[in-house]
Amino acid sequence: MRKLRWTALAVLLVGACSQEAADKAADDGATGDTVGAETAAPQNAAAQGAAKGADDSGKKGAKGAVHPPLDPYPSTYEPYASDVTLITGATILTGAGERIDNGSILLEGGKITAIGAASAVDVPAGANTIDAAGKWVTPGVIDIHSHLGDYPSPLTNSTSDGNEATAPNTAHVWAEHSVWPQDAGFTRALAGGITSLQVLPGSANLFGGRSVVLKNVPSRTVQGMKFPGAPYGLKMACGENPKRVYGDKGGPGTRMGNVAGYRAAWIEAAGYKKQWDDYWKSYEAWAEKDDAKDEDAKEAPDAPSRDLKLETLAGVLGGDIRVNMHCYRADEMVQVLDIAREFGYKVSAFHHAIEAYKVADYLAENGVCAAMWADWWGFKLEAYDAVSENAALVDAQANSCAIIHSDSATGIQRLNQEAAKAMAAGWRIGLEIAPEDAIAWITANPAKSMGVLDQTGTLEAGKMADVVIWNGNPFSVYAKAEQVFIDGALMYDRSDPKRSPRMDFEIGQQNNDNTGGAGQ
Amino acid sequence: MNAINHKPIFAAVFSVFSLTVADNAVAQTSTTAIMNGEVHTAAGDVIKNGDVIIRDGVIVQVGGDLIAPTGATVIDASGKVVTPGIFAPLSSIGLLEISLDEEANDAGPNRGEGFPLGAALDAVDAYRRTSTLIAINRAGGVTRALAAPSPGDSLFGGRGAVIDMSGGVSSVTKPRAAQIAMMGSGGAERAGGTRMGAWAFMREYLDEARSYAANPNTYIRRNREERFALSDLKALGAVVSGGQPLIVHINGEADIRNLIRLKTDYSLRVIIAGGSEAWRVAEPLAAANIAVILDPMVNLPSQFEDLGATLENAARLNAAGVKIAFYNPPGFGAHNLRLLTQQAGNAVAEGLPYDAAIAALTINPAEMFGLDRQLGSIELGKVADIVIWEGDPLEVTTVPQAVFINGVRQDLDNRQAALLSRYRDLSRGALPLAYRGGE
Repeated sequence: MRKLRWTALAVLLVGACSQEAADKAADDGATGDTVGAETAAPQNAAAQGAAKGADDSGKKGAKGAVHPPLDPYPSTYEPYASDVTLITGATILTGAGERIDNGSILLEGGKITAIGAASAVDVPAGANTIDAAGKWVTPGVIDIHSHLGDYPSPLTNSTSDGNEATAPNTAHVWAEHSVWPQDAGFTRALAGGITSLQVLPGSANLFGGRSVVLKNVPSRTVQGMKFPGAPYGLKMACGENPKRVYGDKGGPGTRMGNVAGYRAAWIEAAGYKKQWDDYWKSYEAWAEKDDAKDEDAKEAPDAPSRDLKLETLAGVLGGDIRVNMHCYRADEMVQVLDIAREFGYKVSAFHHAIEAYKVADYLAENGVCAAMWADWWGFKLEAYDAVSENAALVDAQANSCAIIHSDSATGIQRLNQEAAKAMAAGWRIGLEIAPEDAIAWITANPAKSMGVLDQTGTLEAGKMADVVIWNGNPFSVYAKAEQVFIDGALMYDRSDPKRSPRMDFEIGQQNNDNTGGAGQ
Repeated sequence: MNAINHKPIFAAVFSVFSLTVADNAVAQTSTTAIMNGEVHTAAGDVIKNGDVIIRDGVIVQVGGDLIAPTGATVIDASGKVVTPGIFAPLSSIGLLEISLDEEANDAGPNRGEGFPLGAALDAVDAYRRTSTLIAINRAGGVTRALAAPSPGDSLFGGRGAVIDMSGGVSSVTKPRAAQIAMMGSGGAERAGGTRMGAWAFMREYLDEARSYAANPNTYIRRNREERFALSDLKALGAVVSGGQPLIVHINGEADIRNLIRLKTDYSLRVIIAGGSEAWRVAEPLAAANIAVILDPMVNLPSQFEDLGATLENAARLNAAGVKIAFYNPPGFGAHNLRLLTQQAGNAVAEGLPYDAAIAALTINPAEMFGLDRQLGSIELGKVADIVIWEGDPLEVTTVPQAVFINGVRQDLDNRQAALLSRYRDLSRGALPLAYRGGE
C-alpha cells in the first residue's frame, strides 16, 4: 500500500471548491497545515458506499485524491469525573426485560461493571455506596423524538430553527447545526431522567434532514453533547405536513405527490451512490499501484462532485444513516415499507405512529419500530384514530419494537408517565405487560432504533453507566428521578442544587433566584 | 413475567345494566346506591367506607354506614375511589373535532383575518353534542366542562358555556358562563404589538361597554368611534356588570398585577388562565379573590413572560389561598381533558396537598362559574356527577369504572373503544376488518 501525504487544509476546501483547488492546497507544503500523519487509503472503500467509504475523509493523497469528510463535526463529548458508585437495595428494571428486587449495580470508570442481586455484587473498597432501598433504578431514559435545541426555550422567531421549510427535500440540512445548547429544555429533561435523545428536524418536508443523537450533558457546543459514534438519522415525513406546506408552493400537494417525491430522490441518490462506489473502486486500484512500475500511477481518478443532499440519501442506501419516518396513518406506513423495499433501504422507526396498531403485524414482520405517544390525538385528521392501547398492541407482536416518544419539551420530562399510561391501557385489554417490559419502550427500544443499544439503553455490564434512581415506581405519577448518572457521573441530584444545571438564559434574571435549572 | 395486580375490573357492574344516555333526562324515580367506596367528597371529608345514595339525579345521602334503599341499584365500590365528576374549567370541547381541519374547528383562533367580532361569539351556537371528544373524555371521568372559544383577532374570544358531558340534547348547563380574553403577549399581538396597547385597548373596550350598557340608545345615536361592534359591547355588558367572569389568558407577573388593578377599577369578576408567574403574585391574587386556571406542568421559559414558570406554581398558589383549577395546554384544550387528573397528580408530586388537587378538579371550577351550590362536590342536594375509579384517580394507570352525570350512569363506550375492538385481532377473517365492530 502506498504511503500518502495528507493535509488538513483540504478539509476546508473540499466542500466548496473544485478538485483543482484541493490539489493546490495539498501541494502547498508551506501552509503549515500538514498533518503529517501517514496513513493508508480506505480499505475496501467501494464496498462501504460513498459516505462510509470516505473513511480517510477530507484528506488528500499526494497525487490528487480528495475525499469527503466522514465525520466533519465530530463529538467532543467526554464523560465527567465519576466516583466508583454502588447503588444497592433497589428494585432494578434492567431494560433488557429483567426485574431485580433488592438489586445492586456498580458504576466504575463511567461503565456499568456489575449488576445483580445485592448479595451477588461485591463492594469494592472505596466505593461510594448509595442505599437505594425502596427506590427504583432504571436505565437512563432515551427520547427518540425531540426538538430540544432546535425549538428551544425561549421559542421566538430568533430561536425557531427546527424546520427548514423552504423545499420539500432538504436532506442536506443537519439538525445539529440548529441545536442551541443553551436550551433550558435540556435541563428539565434531565430532571425527568433523560440521558440520551435524538434531535430531529421538523416534519414539513419529505426529507427534513439529518438528526443528531446527543447525550444530555450540557456543553458550550453541540459537538460537546454529541453521542460519540452514534449513527446519523434522516428525518422523513408522510402525509399531511408536506402537502400542507408545499401544496401552494410548487408541490407536493397530494400524498401521491409525496410518494413521487420520495421515489425521484431515491433514484437520484442511487445514481450518486453508484458514482461514488465506482470512484472508490478505481481509487483503490490506483492506490495499489506502484509509481515505479505503472505508467499511469500518477493519475489519480477524479472524485465525483459532492452533493450534500445526495450524500445523506446515499448514506441511507448504504445502510449508515437511519430513516426516521414521521407517519401517522397505517396505510401510508405500509406504502413506505414498499418504497423502502423498492430502493433497498430500511426504515428504522415510524414516528407519531398513531395507527400503528392497525398494522402492528406488518411492522413486526419488517422489523420496524413504532414510536408513539400514549394518548395524543386529534390535532389533525391523520391523528384521529388514536387508541390508548396503541403501544401495547404493537408490543404484543412477536419481534416488535414499541417506543414511547415525546416530540415535546414538556412530554420529554415524563416519558415514564407516558409509558405507564400505555402499559396500563394494555392491562385493561388483558395484555400482560410488566414494568420490566414497558421500561424498554423508553430505554432499550429507542436505543436500538437509534443504533446505540450496544452502548446504552439497558443496565448491563460493559455499557455506559447511564442510570436513573427514582424515588419509587417510575410508572407512577408521583415518581421523581432523584439522581441521574450519565457515563457514571452524577449529573442531576434532586436534593442538591449544585447538581442541577442552569442554562445561560436563565441565570442572572432579576427576581429569578429560585427558578431555572433542572428541577424547576 | 411478573404477576401484576390489576385485572380488568369492569365486568360485573357493566353487565348488570347499561343505561343509555337518554338525552340527559333523568330516568323516573331511579335510585342508585354506591356502597363502601373511599369517598372524596371535595367538601372537606374523605369517608373511608363511604356510601352515596342518588335519587332522581340528586345526592340524597352521604355517609359511612348507610343502608341501600329498597329497590336501589347497588354498586359495590369497595376498594374503589369515589369522587365528584371532573369539571374542566376551560376547554373547547364540543367546538372542535380536529384542530387543523378548519371545518371541524369552531373553537378558533382560525377565524380568518379581519373578522370583526369577538366578545359577541357564543359557544352555544357551535356546540356539537355528538362530538367524539365528549364520549372519549367522559370515559376519562370528565362530567362537566366550560366549552369556550379561543380569541381570534379580537382581544375577546366570546362566551363559553358550561356543559355536561352526557352528550344529550339539552346538555348545556349554563350558557354564557364566562367571557374569554387574551392579554399578555397574546394581547399585545392583537393590539398593535405592545402590552401597553393591549391594556389601553382593554380599558377602552370596557369603557365603551359600560357606556353602551348605561344607555344603549344614546350610545347608538352618538355613533361613537365605530371601532367596536355593538354586539361585542352588548356581550361585554355582562362582564362590566360584574356578573359574568372574565377568563384572561395571561402569564407574566407585571401583566397579572395590571389585571388585579383592572379588576378593582372596573369591579370585574376575573379568572386567570395560564398564570405561569402567578405564584409571584400569590398573596395579592388571594386578596383579590382571583382564581387561576393553570397547567401545572408548565416549567419552561417559553417566552420572557414565563421566566418564572415552575412546577410548584399550583402548590404555591394554593398555599397562599388562591383557588386553582387545571386545564390542558393551549392546542390540546379539548381532546385530552381526561388528562386533567394526571396534571393534578403531577401537582401533588410537587407539593400540592391531595385534597386541594381533588378540589381543583371538581369544586373549584364549579365555584368559578357560580355553580358550586349545585355541582362540584358530593354533598346532600347536589347534582350527582360522580365517578367511581379503579384506584387513585390521580394515578396515570387509573381509569374510571363508572361515571354518573345528573345521576345517570353513563355509557363509557366511545370511538376509540370501537377502533380498538375492530383492530384488536388483526388476523384475516371471513370478511375484511371493515365488517367488524362498530355496531
